[in-house]
Amino acid sequence: MIQTVYHIIVLYLTIHIIWFIIREKKFWDQLSGMIVLVMFLLRLFLIK
Amino acid sequence: MKKHHVKALLLLFLAALICYLSARDFLTMHHAEAIYPSPQLTTKKRLSDYFPGLKNSPGDSPVYIFEGRTKGGNLLILGGTHPNEPAGFMTTVLLVENLEVIQGKIIIVPRANNSGFMHNDPQEGNPQRYSLETAGGSRWFRYGSRLTNPIHQWPDPVLYVNPAGQKLSGTESRNLNRSYPGRKNGYLTEKIAYGIMQLITVEKIDLAVDLHEAAPEYPVINAIVFHERSAELAAIASMTLQMEGVDIQLEASPPNLRGLSHREWGDFTETLAILLETANTSHGRLKGKPSATLITEGKDKNYQRAAQLGLLFVPFSEEGIPLKKRVSRHLATLNALVFGLSELFPDLPIRFQKIPSSTDVESAGIGAFLTPPK
Repeated sequence: MIQTVYHIIVLYLTIHIIWFIIREKKFWDQLSGMIVLVMFLLRLFLIK
Repeated sequence: MKKHHVKALLLLFLAALICYLSARDFLTMHHAEAIYPSPQLTTKKRLSDYFPGLKNSPGDSPVYIFEGRTKGGNLLILGGTHPNEPAGFMTTVLLVENLEVIQGKIIIVPRANNSGFMHNDPQEGNPQRYSLETAGGSRWFRYGSRLTNPIHQWPDPVLYVNPAGQKLSGTESRNLNRSYPGRKNGYLTEKIAYGIMQLITVEKIDLAVDLHEAAPEYPVINAIVFHERSAELAAIASMTLQMEGVDIQLEASPPNLRGLSHREWGDFTETLAILLETANTSHGRLKGKPSATLITEGKDKNYQRAAQLGLLFVPFSEEGIPLKKRVSRHLATLNALVFGLSELFPDLPIRFQKIPSSTDVESAGIGAFLTPPK
């Protein structure tokens, strides 16, 4: 149960980061978002 | 499509690529190193054979059983309770690959906390593996974490009350050596502890030894930690080692420090419980850059300096404390304990052969006694 809640929270934030990268116009801000996204994806797939 | 959308797509692709590469590298930690048991192995079981609750879980682990032709004492040797303490693990590998038991029974669990071998500690920069040279090539072995993989046991409680009733910080819920006597329906680490307790009971273990290492600045080091029922045995082993020129401390297991193997094995089963410690540079807090060489060679300038300042509990020269020396110390202590058991309980003899002597391991290295890679 708690793992499902965890997945939903991480998935929600991951979608937000992806959406941020798509609509952001400044390249360096997009790049910062991409670095954060890597951590979230690894968490989402329970790799680390 | 606008320009920043193209950049976004490229960055998303890059994120996916980094994820794929890092995940592929990290997931190799789930693959265990090869162990080639000696032809005299009687049977290979798993911890789940003693506690089915571990079946198909990352806490399940191989159990190697060597039985002699005649009955005698029963000895359990545990390595890998803390997978970042490689001398304990390597001692068990060395035993599994060479042992021939003549009398009695020896049971060996090299990866006591199997899950702890499947990751390593964040922000430590530790290598995922180290290698040893054998007669026929190089073999690698995992260097894991002190704690169970959080992917397998999550979340940690804020305060952990272990099965023996001791209050500890939350992360300790993933420390096998704080989780005894275990819980049937508890956390994964508690289930592993419960499985080991079951093994001790079912196999009627007379002497159980948990092999560890500690940082050179830790006071309980080069030591035999003993439960009060094992005091006489530990004293005999200590005297035997002193006569062989091996300096060793005796440490009584504190009755109010609960959840540890040397306490709960002794309190909850009939076994004589012992824990051994050697000095491991690679998991000390004063070490320099972590590397596979640091694990195997144990050389570190910071520790040399700390020794000169009198801050360590073991001698530390520029030669360091190599893995072969730590394994040789564990072997010598195990020999002394088996000798002590036969002295105290003549009806519980354990006789074995083909184990390299501690001096041979120290001079020729561990790899000389390991099976070449197949």
